[in-house]
Amino acid sequence: MNPSLKLALLVLVALEISFTHVWTVNVALIVVSLILMVWGHVAFKRLAMLTLIPAFFGGALVWSLTLRGTASSHFLLVIFTRMVAYVYMGGWFAQTTNPLTLTRSLEQNAKLPSKFAYGFLAAFNLMPKIQAEVATIKAAALMRGQVLHFWSPQLYFKVILAAMNWSDQLAAAMTSHGFVEDAPRTHATEIPLVTRDWIMLVGSLVLVQVGLFIGLP
Amino acid sequence: MVTVSIHNLTFTYPQQSRPVLNTVNASFPAGQFSLITGVSGGGKSTLLKLIAGLLPTDATGITFNDQSLTDIPATQRSKTVAMLFQEPSTQFTMDTVANELQFALENQQVPADEIPARLTAALDFIGIAALRDRKLMHLSGGEQQKVALAIIVAMDSAVILLDEPFASIDPATRLVLLQRLAQLSRERGKTVILADHDLSGYTDYVDRLTVLADGHLTHLSPEATQERLATFAPAQLRLQHVTVPDNDQPALLQGTQLSLSANGRTLVTPQDLGLFAHHTTLITGPNGSGKSTLFRSLVKLGHYQGVITYDGTDIHRLKRRPYARQVALMFQSAATQFLNVTVDEELTLSLKNSYADHFTPAMVTQLLTELNLDDRREQIIYTLSSGQQKKLQLLCMLIMAPDVLLLDEPFKGLDYASLQTAIQILKRVQQDLDITYILVSHQLSGLDTFIDYHLQLADQHLTYQGVRA
Amino acid sequence: MKRWHIRDIILVTILAIFMGVIFWVITPLYSALTAVFAPMGLQPLANEILLGVWTMAGPLAGFVIRIPGAATLGELLGAVVEMFLGGIWGASTLISGVVQGFGSELGFMATRYRRYNWVTLTLSALTTTLVTFAWSLAREGYSAYHLGFLLLLFAVRFASVFVFGGILTKLITNLLDRAHVLKH
Repeated sequence: MNPSLKLALLVLVALEISFTHVWTVNVALIVVSLILMVWGHVAFKRLAMLTLIPAFFGGALVWSLTLRGTASSHFLLVIFTRMVAYVYMGGWFAQTTNPLTLTRSLEQNAKLPSKFAYGFLAAFNLMPKIQAEVATIKAAALMRGQVLHFWSPQLYFKVILAAMNWSDQLAAAMTSHGFVEDAPRTHATEIPLVTRDWIMLVGSLVLVQVGLFIGLP
Repeated sequence: MVTVSIHNLTFTYPQQSRPVLNTVNASFPAGQFSLITGVSGGGKSTLLKLIAGLLPTDATGITFNDQSLTDIPATQRSKTVAMLFQEPSTQFTMDTVANELQFALENQQVPADEIPARLTAALDFIGIAALRDRKLMHLSGGEQQKVALAIIVAMDSAVILLDEPFASIDPATRLVLLQRLAQLSRERGKTVILADHDLSGYTDYVDRLTVLADGHLTHLSPEATQERLATFAPAQLRLQHVTVPDNDQPALLQGTQLSLSANGRTLVTPQDLGLFAHHTTLITGPNGSGKSTLFRSLVKLGHYQGVITYDGTDIHRLKRRPYARQVALMFQSAATQFLNVTVDEELTLSLKNSYADHFTPAMVTQLLTELNLDDRREQIIYTLSSGQQKKLQLLCMLIMAPDVLLLDEPFKGLDYASLQTAIQILKRVQQDLDITYILVSHQLSGLDTFIDYHLQLADQHLTYQGVRA
Repeated sequence: MKRWHIRDIILVTILAIFMGVIFWVITPLYSALTAVFAPMGLQPLANEILLGVWTMAGPLAGFVIRIPGAATLGELLGAVVEMFLGGIWGASTLISGVVQGFGSELGFMATRYRRYNWVTLTLSALTTTLVTFAWSLAREGYSAYHLGFLLLLFAVRFASVFVFGGILTKLITNLLDRAHVLKH
């Protein structure tokens, strides 16, 4: 499925189940996401993580609502299945979508300005460098006798200074590699957007509406 | 074929009083390989960035075949001029080599069906076809610079600018890049302008040398260029006092079957290595051979195979906080070490956290005076010159007084007088506090009476040099 | 009005990724708090105590980058990073990201992107708390709580958002300001 439409579907459905109380639809979404993930060869370990995490946090939330609130058992069931559905749908999307293809699709199909698309990509490729920088900053501070925690302003200060340097360097390099903001570009890798994608989006949405509004529990 | 001309160019950075470039006039002829030299921080980068149109300026003083860059449509500028940067890893937008080349060609609006062929031709020209689908972040610095050049080749830019491109690159890669650049200028008529402070190994490739000093540019004639390049000898290390450490002496830091690698490239093959207390050890070796990687491993910031012990204990079993007191690293990039805003704040922090009672505020004032920093106490660190930052960093780390101080290029960017003072101070502190120094330095002059042991990293092996004691 | 340039876009994304790294660092703390609070039925308190860290990318980006939309974009991108890393809230992270980011954006909007001081950050903390709390009422079923408990949750959330998005953010930007790297 076209990544932009896939993203739209994900956000719309997640938004809708946040405001509706039909646990059967949540369960159906969980089952469908699970099937899609198994079909997409998502590793078993990953699936186990995706199950344990919402089970733990969702369970704790439901228990809290039981003790501190006036929720009915139907409401609790809705909240719990909703948490699992969020994580499964997010898992399906994250595990079966290539970030580069998604960005290219957003540029070509969703008309996201190319400066955003390639700005995001340039920064995302720095992810390992950012992690290493945080470790280096903490170690360098220790050598000055200073322990940095996640609440230490100096940690953020140093990272932001490094980030400003990198964004200057990357922006200069992009310009040097011919990138011009808001200028037309060619696309050697076309991301297809065909009728079938639209049918899948509309079809899925219609199915969810039917499930939500025909009076299922 | 494009000639770059510069007329009466003056440039001052905002918030600075003195211009970096002062009424510069110069011409870089089409099809020639020009080398610009000058001290670091002297304005070479600024000049190249101005030529590349990367700094905001009216820039009427710079023309390409009598045409100013602003007269060329933005989407066509990369065909005129492109730049290769000093820091290899922050010049790419995409994840893989092929995607980055594709990105650049798409920017130039090359028709989609022509892109694969241009991409392949550029990779073949540089000789990196095998890297095509590799992740850029997984490549070594040298490989990344090759990719950066391949991109410029694919874009077919007429003027190629390179800013200290070999700063962290191994000699073999440097040679390949130089050959390709010479080929680009001679066979394809490209105008190559390269900035480097180190003039070694350019004799066969460079047509003309230009010197940038005190904001002014001077071109040397071809004869003068060849003479200057031929007589340029890299600072020779003349250590007459070094000895090979005694085998019976217990090592403070001991590597057992220690090996190092980075991005799949072997840097040091398994070997035993002892580093000794209360002495000064100098480690030398080519760029990119693994000296900084060794330092990072010693302070638990890098991966290594084998075992490293400190005073008999595996450093994996030592907690970071107490270990940082025992073994500290003065990072190559000075800014990494600072946590505050002004010079005074940094010194106060070091004094507060120092492990020794040795240093007093009066002593620090004295040291600042010796290093010519006494009138800079209120200054913002990030506005100091690179040499001043380096001196402040050295002072901050010495005040901390760890048991072992690793120094990664501690003299980078220092003028000769500062270098002498820095060495004097290092010696004095060592006498007073018995600190162990291990340093990596390209700056080799004046070190003779300071160094006890000399470790050379060559052919993936570290060996002590000198005579047996 | 200031427009987005490529440098700002890269900077806001790096900030978001960095905050993603910070989320990663505090996840064990979050799990531990949840485990401690859960038996007493106080799990949401774990959320509320740390919510300020989750929403900090917004005010930080808004203050550093100073372009309309910076707070929203910073928080949304943080959410994207979190989802791809396999965060706890999955798909709803994206929506939460927009909600949280918009919440902090309102504070900057209220001062018309002209004032960058305590007033702005306090306003931003308040709007963030209000907007995200409304979202929690629906998404996490907070509407079913007794009023007293709900008020406690609200107070703790505001305190957290104020400490991280207000105080900590101000301390960070003070350093940046003194180092003369913020554009005015």
